[in-house]
Amino acid sequence: MPIDATMMLWTEKYRPKTLDEVVNQKEVVERVKQFVKTKNVPHMLFAGPPGTGKTTVALALSRELYGENWRQNVLELNASDERGIQIVRERVKDYARTMPIGDVPFKIIILDEADNMTADAQQALRRTMELYTRTCRFILIANYSSKIIEPIQSRCAIFRFQPLRDEDIAARIRYIAEKEGVDLREDGLKAILYVAEGDLRRAINSLQAAAALGVVDEKAVFRVVGRASPVEIREMLQLALSGNFIKAREKLRELMIAYGLSGVDIVRQIHREVFALKIPEEAKVKLADRIGEINFRMVEGADEEVQLSALLAYFALFGENLRGS
Amino acid sequence: MSTTANLWIVKYKPRRFSEIIGNRTAILEFRTWLEKRLKGADVEKAAFLWGPPGVGKTLTVEVAAIEYNLELIQMNASDARSRERIRRVLGMASQYLSLVGGRRKIILVDEVDGMSGTEDRGGLAAVIELIQQSRFPVVLTANDPWDPRFRPLRELCKMIRYDRIRVPTLVSYLRRICIAEGIVADDAALRIIAQRSDGDVRSAVNDLQAIAQGKKRLMLSDVEWLAYRDRQYGAFDVLKNIFAARTCRAAKAALASSLLDYNMIFQWIHENLPLQYPSPEDLAEAYDALSRADVFLGRTKRTQAWALLSYALDLMTAGVSMVKKGKYKFTKYQFPQRIKILSQTKDIRTTMNSICSAIAEKCHISTKGAVSEYLPYLRFIFRVNPEMAAGIAKWLKLDENMITFLAGSFDRANEIISLMRKRRKST
Repeated sequence: MPIDATMMLWTEKYRPKTLDEVVNQKEVVERVKQFVKTKNVPHMLFAGPPGTGKTTVALALSRELYGENWRQNVLELNASDERGIQIVRERVKDYARTMPIGDVPFKIIILDEADNMTADAQQALRRTMELYTRTCRFILIANYSSKIIEPIQSRCAIFRFQPLRDEDIAARIRYIAEKEGVDLREDGLKAILYVAEGDLRRAINSLQAAAALGVVDEKAVFRVVGRASPVEIREMLQLALSGNFIKAREKLRELMIAYGLSGVDIVRQIHREVFALKIPEEAKVKLADRIGEINFRMVEGADEEVQLSALLAYFALFGENLRGS
Repeated sequence: MSTTANLWIVKYKPRRFSEIIGNRTAILEFRTWLEKRLKGADVEKAAFLWGPPGVGKTLTVEVAAIEYNLELIQMNASDARSRERIRRVLGMASQYLSLVGGRRKIILVDEVDGMSGTEDRGGLAAVIELIQQSRFPVVLTANDPWDPRFRPLRELCKMIRYDRIRVPTLVSYLRRICIAEGIVADDAALRIIAQRSDGDVRSAVNDLQAIAQGKKRLMLSDVEWLAYRDRQYGAFDVLKNIFAARTCRAAKAALASSLLDYNMIFQWIHENLPLQYPSPEDLAEAYDALSRADVFLGRTKRTQAWALLSYALDLMTAGVSMVKKGKYKFTKYQFPQRIKILSQTKDIRTTMNSICSAIAEKCHISTKGAVSEYLPYLRFIFRVNPEMAAGIAKWLKLDENMITFLAGSFDRANEIISLMRKRRKST
């Protein structure tokens, strides 16, 4: 293997630079290309599941529109990190009011993960969008368009990104593996498709991590995934079911604090795990109901650790009853 | 810390007088008395060592037993000390040489102020009797010897006062333990532990162990939760009153009458539910109530409708208290670990956040997204493939701390860092 000075993460190295390279999303790409051709871009809302190319299309569009100097005319913000009203008021406004450089009469602001903005911040954004339409166009990116307030939606051209099909992901993974000289086996590719669930970013990350082991086969991929979706979550559930609540709660704290997982991440994983447990089928439904309630409470802003502890206590009782019957 | 063998206070217990810190004059006074007493000189038959806890009173006697080769016979507050028992246990011992090797003895009646007036009836009289009849030196200890009950005792004994250990002395002692444990400790951190121990070596060493065990470095941020812990001392009582309440009204009153913030008490209840309710049925029921209380708290905060707060308080007090079947069970409560863990893992979380910021900047994702979408894969790569890790570390411009975090061990991190250096030379 030739020694490079640096090694980019493959998700970035192989992020398409042009609209033509974008994997699938044919309809979206066709329409966006028209905007580039006419050099007129409306406010847009890109909605769709993670890893389907929303950010990539926004970046490729910027490149094609402005050429070499695209960075001077594009402001990229991530609403999850900078989501206060303050940011919209200041950074966005400051940027929006100055004139663009070059022959395109407007600049672009890409606001990624916009569905994480508070309703107040979205209201502020709506005003800004109206005020500076002449000099600035917004591309909002979100997983769920429903989380964007109506008045903003009505000001945007909405593009829905489809989950990628397995054959599209497979083609891209094969391409990267070939470029990187990775020994990718058929069962390895299948495993990657299985864990990716239509998310190309996850597929590429799985490929790169598995390639760190050498040959990418099924075993390598599942070793990666075992680490990536912590086995600790399964362990935590087993501890609770076997009646060791205190240890289970310790595990929970470790996951939240040392691993930095959010409560919602954890509850979703628990949900997934439940169906793999060796317990009566009708019991799984009851557990899912409970998990859903806890998930809902957390989305509403409840204390994640307390809610998950309550869930673990429920699991402990459940385990006890199973052993009793 | 499951067994006492792992306790640092035991592991580093002095075995020589020269190893005991502080109270030099008191120890010298004691030794002079003891040597005379052993020679049969005309001195008081007993010594009464008094002073605050954890300053070395009992330790002095234990070390004396080693240095003067005496058999230590002792009775402390955990033993029942009625007249009969004292006579039975100590009476014989005070008359005859040790069965093994014919050694002389030293008799220690520890914590005499812990003698109960009713259950240890006649105990003090028996102690006086013991002192008068014993062939061997008798030593008493107490925190407060000025109780009028002790007057006859004081007249019989050589009174020796022990003082609190000074902060600088304590700091250098704690430092020695850290060195022995391979921990690099900040002075400021040790000083805080020493200061808040109030001159009590035992509590200082226990605190040090609770905070520093398993660490390579002890920093100021690690001890901050101690101060927090002190502020909520009253929480123990509030907790007991809530859990022990027989009626809803009493449970609610326990919280209402306390000066402590309900959010803080909420954390205490959360921490201690599994200790109070070991049975899965009770625990699930209690947690159900507490998690409902949490939902109400959230609604109250969100809507700013403070009238809703009382429902939250009902559930977190009466709700968790009425779960118990039968009588309240005494429970040893503990401080909320969450705050402790948060402050102890502050460095780790800071490192993790800077890694995720680096990823966010390069990979068009939020730092929160980086945690779930990139961090697990990077962790994997850094653990199994130093070559690839070195390249990525360079690209993301990670520093040594971040590399160590991802690699999971110093050895692996060093391997990666040296690979990075090599590349710099070759390019």
